[in-house]
Amino acid sequence: MRLVQIQPRSGSRPPEVPSKLPGIPSSAGAGGTPSEPLPVLLPSGQALSPDLRELRDLKNLEEILKNARELIRDLSFPTARAWAAGGGTSVAFFPVYTPHEIAHSLGMLPVTVHGGGEDLEITHADAALGSFLCSISKSTLELAITGCLDPFSAYVFPYICDVSRNLEGILCRLKPGSATHMLHLPQNFTSPATIPFLVTEYRRLIAKFEKVSGNRYQASELTQSLKLYNERRRAIEELSELRRKEPWKLPTSELYLLERMGDLLPPEAHLPLLRRSLEQARERSRTKRDAVRVLVVGPFCEQPTPDMLALVEEAGCYVVGDELNMLHHWTPTVPLDGDPLENMARSYVQTPVDIGVRATPIPKGDSIVARARAVDAQGVLFLTAKFCEPALEDVVLYRRGLDREKIPYLHMEFEERSTAYEQSRLQIETFVESVLFD
Amino acid sequence: MSAGASLLNANPGFLRDAREEQRKMVERYYADLESAGGPKRPVAYMLVGGNLTEIVRSFGYEVVFPEIVALNCAIKHKSLEYILNAEAQGYGLDVCGYVKNDLGLQAQGGVTPFGKVPKPDLLVCSFSGCYVYIKWWEALAETLGAPMYTYDVPYQRTEAPLKEDVEYMVAQLWEFIHFLEKTTGRSFDMEELKRVLARSRRAEEEWVRYLDAGRRRPSPIEAYFEAVFYMFPINVLRGTEEAVRFYETCNEEIRTRVSEGNYPVPEEKFRLVVEGVPPYTNYRTFWDFFRKWGAVSVAATYPKVGGLFDRGFYHDPSRPLESIAEYSLGAYVNQSWPLRRDLIKQYVRDYEADAVLIHGIKSCRSFTAGQGDLRDWLIHDAGVPTLYIESDHEDPRYFTPAQIKNRMDAFFESLDLRKRTGPSAGPAGGHAATTAGASATKEVAVR
Repeated sequence: MRLVQIQPRSGSRPPEVPSKLPGIPSSAGAGGTPSEPLPVLLPSGQALSPDLRELRDLKNLEEILKNARELIRDLSFPTARAWAAGGGTSVAFFPVYTPHEIAHSLGMLPVTVHGGGEDLEITHADAALGSFLCSISKSTLELAITGCLDPFSAYVFPYICDVSRNLEGILCRLKPGSATHMLHLPQNFTSPATIPFLVTEYRRLIAKFEKVSGNRYQASELTQSLKLYNERRRAIEELSELRRKEPWKLPTSELYLLERMGDLLPPEAHLPLLRRSLEQARERSRTKRDAVRVLVVGPFCEQPTPDMLALVEEAGCYVVGDELNMLHHWTPTVPLDGDPLENMARSYVQTPVDIGVRATPIPKGDSIVARARAVDAQGVLFLTAKFCEPALEDVVLYRRGLDREKIPYLHMEFEERSTAYEQSRLQIETFVESVLFD
Repeated sequence: MSAGASLLNANPGFLRDAREEQRKMVERYYADLESAGGPKRPVAYMLVGGNLTEIVRSFGYEVVFPEIVALNCAIKHKSLEYILNAEAQGYGLDVCGYVKNDLGLQAQGGVTPFGKVPKPDLLVCSFSGCYVYIKWWEALAETLGAPMYTYDVPYQRTEAPLKEDVEYMVAQLWEFIHFLEKTTGRSFDMEELKRVLARSRRAEEEWVRYLDAGRRRPSPIEAYFEAVFYMFPINVLRGTEEAVRFYETCNEEIRTRVSEGNYPVPEEKFRLVVEGVPPYTNYRTFWDFFRKWGAVSVAATYPKVGGLFDRGFYHDPSRPLESIAEYSLGAYVNQSWPLRRDLIKQYVRDYEADAVLIHGIKSCRSFTAGQGDLRDWLIHDAGVPTLYIESDHEDPRYFTPAQIKNRMDAFFESLDLRKRTGPSAGPAGGHAATTAGASATKEVAVR
């Protein structure tokens, strides 16, 4: 691949492989065994590495949040490197929905790569992709070109939009020795043929995973993985419910970090952290502010920076519902009886999630109004990634419904490398004032 | 040839009977549509890629392709008016120009310079190769209240269609047929569908005969600018005798051109393969940038958005639904990048092209995302001089003639030098790639 022969700027070289995971205090985990009886051995028989065990055993919510913040900014993907150091293989999944459980059941570490975030300078990917494309596509390709994605053995791009689809065709040239797959997520949700088709798609993915992992697919292992992921989904749902009812105890800027670190960790390490976080967040004594309860819609793929999310709350909003980290909210639970692949396919097809990356029910205006009311939101904040066509098109229909019901909203666009927030702050503060004093 | 070569090399006179016939055919089509709609002559909206026109027509529907309406608006310099209307509704700058043209046009009552486009009675989301189609059709369904059927077409990742994908699609086609039976109260007639498909196949064979003429030296056809005009019947009127007759007329004209020595340019200096959607808003201007250098498109990918017939696929009346499924899978933008790359490389070889010109457009991520990588691959892996430029197909605000012309002039000068002095000379010989457009004007990937 000749693109990599262009000399990278020093700022975009792959970060050094850390000797240990970032931010883990030396005392972490000291004092005994974890409180939850979770398996230390993964389905493939691989043990959690010491670094991952150390991270799993973090006790304090503030420490967990600090580590999460550092982990998601670390573009060397230390958890995947740690996994590889232990002899395992990892899969990089592009957002939004992908079947992580399948990779997990084969002993692979499933990781969602949410682009390069605010720290990555794009120097090569522009030339490969063209001008008018979203940041996440460019930064993901930049990560691949500059070697940051080298710890992964497989790359999966779901058909959530044309850009994600086309990225797979570029990655397969860039990483000829790896497995790449464009996962066709179906859009016909009424046909009886859809679920069998999606099972076939999953089997195609499994064939590639088996090759790179050296492990054989077993339905019983996948059922075990689904059970563990269901537990994680329940834990995240409980955290979300706390955020909805008492957002001052767990603001979205923190919930986001807790969820997002799960895109980088095996669920065995993530689940105890979520449980501990829930316990401690419930006990927090924080004062309720006079803030506007908002539903955030739009950032389902490319994610705003954590600073941007904090800004929304600082400027006077309680975010009580959102489209961030939608993988963890796709389905409340996946049934465990019967064929696990069919159960996964059915859960994907029958999800109640209304989101821009799949055909959704109309009228969309009714749908957004129902969603806002379900979380008792006073307004809707459309936070759409620049150039994200699925989000930009849905916004218009959503706005019509909100106008009909006189629910206030604000539409803002963002990019990964947004750093100047003053204008955004002004917009949000004005929106908040208009809601509070209307 | 110097950069100051005049337009004397342009030879629009080579377009004669077939072009005139095509123009009349389009006029007849829109005039006929004016009276359509409602229970007697219901109207179905459909997308071009992998479309189901034969099935829908067999139930008595008139078919409207909003993409084609939009490109006709752009050619008539009306697209900006509709785009601005859509932007006033809230559709952002970065939304596809086809979508905005259509939604703006609908808001203005469907009135175009070439006729009134009727509202749909049915929306067929033949979702092949473009995710935006889904969002577009959802917006139409919500705004206009027409029922919508989503036909999910898996992405084509292998050269031959996969059996499971075809089975999935045939199952959906049967469901669609039952849906149409219920909606229209008419019974499905498989024998009639076979007859229609037989006519489709004859038109497809004639169309391929026309496209194959680009292999000749000099080429008697312009496989991009001219073929874009001539793709109308293969997409819109497929399955009719009118489409068959049109391509017969085309091929008769090609024979006359060869016998009379009447070619797209008087002296063919450069043979190009063109990838990407044309800038319809500045169609003639863009074409002139080619003609002044004696450059002729001998093969192009865009006229294949409705189907890759030239790669051996034809509708097969003996396997009606299976071949419709395979047709939908094979639409050009439903092909994975490895398949697209191979196809373009084959075109360069089979049509003895000197270079590839890629026109990326702001609106269409499906076509465009990855064209920069394609350029890199063509230059470095396939050894083909390649130029990449950017504008838009619908929105004239993104077409910057001076920048695009400068890039093209520089590229053709390099190619000219390469021809005269051999591959090692000049930036084109050294595998140059240039990018030009509204926002991308940098030299990249030169080594």
